[in-house]
Amino acid sequence: MIRVYDLMDRDIIFCYPDDSVTDVVLMMKANQFRPVIVVHEAGEVWGLVSRLALIRFYGEDLDRIRAEEVMRPYRFEIDPQWPIETAIDLMQRTRFEHLIIVDPHAGPRRPIGILSSFDIVRYMSGIESGHFEQILKMPPEWTLPS
Amino acid sequence: MRLMRKGAITCGEETSVRDVAQIMVVNSTRYCVVINQGHEVLGIISARSILNAFGRDLDQVRAKDILAPYTFTITPNTPLKEAIHLMDKRKIEHLIVVSDRPGSKAILGLLHVEDIIDKMAQD
Repeated sequence: MIRVYDLMDRDIIFCYPDDSVTDVVLMMKANQFRPVIVVHEAGEVWGLVSRLALIRFYGEDLDRIRAEEVMRPYRFEIDPQWPIETAIDLMQRTRFEHLIIVDPHAGPRRPIGILSSFDIVRYMSGIESGHFEQILKMPPEWTLPS
Repeated sequence: MRLMRKGAITCGEETSVRDVAQIMVVNSTRYCVVINQGHEVLGIISARSILNAFGRDLDQVRAKDILAPYTFTITPNTPLKEAIHLMDKRKIEHLIVVSDRPGSKAILGLLHVEDIIDKMAQD
């Protein structure tokens, strides 16, 4: 059985509620435009800033807007041990593009990963994560003769 | 609209959803424009459309069965604020850019949410 843990992205990026939207924009750009998780100073998850949420503020003074005003508040506790079908069902019902994964054993509401609709597409495609990156890393002698 | 990207990742209307998912993964993109044999745009498939097909036989379901119809488009002259409003209202991260010539259905490119964030980072 495939679980949420198997497909989630463990490489999360996060900011604090008081960080400016300028900081969030730069953070997102530097990380392949992945969503940014908003965490409390103690490391508890507060919400998530998505790409669509960010562009609503185009043209405004981004230095004066805080991440907390842009984020979608954290609502659903997703256990990494959930079967992937349960997470997909939740994404279908809520229309959320991303789910924040918390580890119930790592402390209260500590984010340990994020599951996106693209992770599900990769799973459904049958192509394993990192497959193409591995091909690119193959030594030259592995390449086919022309 | 200087932000738009020319061209688009496309698939045929009879392409299986499994193949569409593979096209997206191989190209590291979250959309695929669906065209017919006459190269006319029929609609767009997003990662969300693929996710919603979970549980069905992906080798049997076709692109035309899950696409979002060719409805929400912009032209190169659409103000960016208007495009952003459309993206936000419809919860879509990619907009098809078409020619503003009357009767023309030619696709010129796409406007991606990443392009707007990139501009916000530069401003």
